[in-house]
Amino acid sequence: MGVVSRSVGNAFRNKVRSGAVVVILAVAIGLALAMLVANQAVGAKVDSLKASVGNTLMVNPAGSRGGLGGGNPLTTADATKAAAVAHVTGVNEALTVRLANAAADSASAGSASGNGGADRGSRGGRFGTSGTTSLVSAVDPGVLGQRNNSNGSSPDGGSGSTTTRPAFSIPIQATGVSTSATAAGTAIKLTGGSQLTDFAANSTQALVGSTLATKNSLKVGSTFTVQSRTMKVTGIFDAGDAFDNNGIYLPLAATQTLVDQAGQLSSLNVVVDSIENVSSTQAALTSALGASNVDVTAGSNNLQAAITSLGSVQNISLIAFIASLVTAGLIVLLIMIMVVRERRREIGVLKAIGASNRTIGLQFVIEAMVLVVLGSVVGAAVAAFSSNPIVSALVAGNTTSTNAAVGRFGGRGGLGGGGGFSGGFTRTRGAFAGASQLIGTISTSVGWQTLVLGAVGILAIAAIGALIPALLTAKVRPIEVLRGE
Amino acid sequence: MLNVKDVVKSFNSGDRTIKPVNGVSFSLEQGTFAAILGKSGSGKSTLLSLLGALDKATSGDVFVDEVNISTLPDRKLTAYRRDDIGFVFQSYNLIPNLSAKENVMLPMEFAGVSHAERSKRAGALLNQVELGEEMHGRLANRLSGGMQQRVAIARALANNPKLILADEPTGNLDDETGELIIALLRQLAHEKKTTILVVTHDHALAAQTDRKFRLAHGKLTED
Repeated sequence: MGVVSRSVGNAFRNKVRSGAVVVILAVAIGLALAMLVANQAVGAKVDSLKASVGNTLMVNPAGSRGGLGGGNPLTTADATKAAAVAHVTGVNEALTVRLANAAADSASAGSASGNGGADRGSRGGRFGTSGTTSLVSAVDPGVLGQRNNSNGSSPDGGSGSTTTRPAFSIPIQATGVSTSATAAGTAIKLTGGSQLTDFAANSTQALVGSTLATKNSLKVGSTFTVQSRTMKVTGIFDAGDAFDNNGIYLPLAATQTLVDQAGQLSSLNVVVDSIENVSSTQAALTSALGASNVDVTAGSNNLQAAITSLGSVQNISLIAFIASLVTAGLIVLLIMIMVVRERRREIGVLKAIGASNRTIGLQFVIEAMVLVVLGSVVGAAVAAFSSNPIVSALVAGNTTSTNAAVGRFGGRGGLGGGGGFSGGFTRTRGAFAGASQLIGTISTSVGWQTLVLGAVGILAIAAIGALIPALLTAKVRPIEVLRGE
Repeated sequence: MLNVKDVVKSFNSGDRTIKPVNGVSFSLEQGTFAAILGKSGSGKSTLLSLLGALDKATSGDVFVDEVNISTLPDRKLTAYRRDDIGFVFQSYNLIPNLSAKENVMLPMEFAGVSHAERSKRAGALLNQVELGEEMHGRLANRLSGGMQQRVAIARALANNPKLILADEPTGNLDDETGELIIALLRQLAHEKKTTILVVTHDHALAAQTDRKFRLAHGKLTED
């Protein structure tokens, strides 16, 4: 039997106590590891946010936002001017329009005609739409859609009688893009098929949202019509929510042609070379395009809130990580002090029969290590189960105040129909989402950095716990063995 | 082999200075079986701890084979305890969660002896002290007092020491077992030429030794 096996045996000499120590250590080490994992996950999220929306600016027609407001459309000339502004590294052009179902549009047009031209510029079900499609909306207007897009009854100018507007149906959002990216510049996530490749004005390629595809029984390769053109489904995308999945992506030039809005754009997503230059570039863009013509908004406004929230979480998790490690170290320390005090006589015996301080110290160091390793193994399991809930709780706790503001800013007011607003609308979810939306879900995972840091932390615990007993054993004099003889 | 010259051990107790060992001098030849008699608290164990380098004398010298252990640094004292001394304690002081054999192997492990050699020698030593093979693997705290003391003697012999110091080796044993232990120690002294110094208040044990000393009021006298 060597010093290692003897130490392992000693670690379990009092099984109940060792078991209790391992459990307590497991909780402390598990919490430490969970906090470390949380810290790493939040750090990665911050980097990801900075990379994804931190350096982007959204340009909209002045006075328009998320389907509300008015103003004049942007143009390709504006995009050219934006691209020329200092620090701008890329401009994503988009034209988002709404399409009414052709069949419903035709029926309501007939109804309006029958009413003696009661419809005043907004025919039947096509409130503010720019064209028609064979697609049937996958979203039921519901109470909100009817309320938001209907004036109820209106006086009939011709006869003095009251006419009722036809039932509203949710239009289908068509976004014309010049690259395989959303209006906010993020990648379109496909669940099937392939991205758009033909961006010419006569292109017939289209990407269809998953719920819209299901509603209309569309698959990759299926066809549908926009205005009079037959479009072919090249891919089906999942944007993550019911609203976006009720839309389609078309080549920008084709969209402009189809809805007769040549050269017009509804938004520009401008990529800046670094997050530090976002503010100055925002001012430069406003100046270049005219403050009365455009609203330039930085996605980093909410990013800053998100990063501040996540920064708090990072600080909390770091402090908790250190505190948990120190706690674990103290547990080991106290236990080993107790063990050494209990076994003073045994230490004296070992010295009397020729054991060196180093040998005895090593024996207690290994004994402490055994407890720490066992605590770490159980603690790793604790961390595996607790890190995600802990991260969620920490993030939720630190973004509550932000969420209150986001409720107003990030809402979808008017998106259920937007009757009366012509020229389509732009949803800029990525750049204009609130802090909590930006943060979204943080998934924890254990990477090599986490493992290295965790190992260093656990070694620190073992060092603290082992150093003290090693020093204490050196102070035990062999004469102790003869006391009480 | 052992030469003790004017050794003093004193310590303060309140205003008083106590000298349990006060100018002790004696010497022993190799292979001598000797006993120090004295009442409880007479300083026998203190003297033994000084000879075994478990404690430092206030003054005086202890020579073992011409080496003055009173002046050795801690590291060399550890080697001295490991290689030259074997201790046998009244309450055995075996490591309770180790087997009889593992206890005997411990001093050899500290001396760097290989595991195979340790195991072989420990088995032989346990046989020498007449502990049955079936007891070699039994945990020390599962053995009777007599068996534990035999294991302790085997452990003391592990590194072939020049000197065995035994502190009341029969103090916790019945007469019959005590006789066996005494016979074993005498045999070791005479057959293996190991110097054995026993401190005891047991006159029957002392009567079987080659030389007898008495310690009283810190002074040692030979009968």
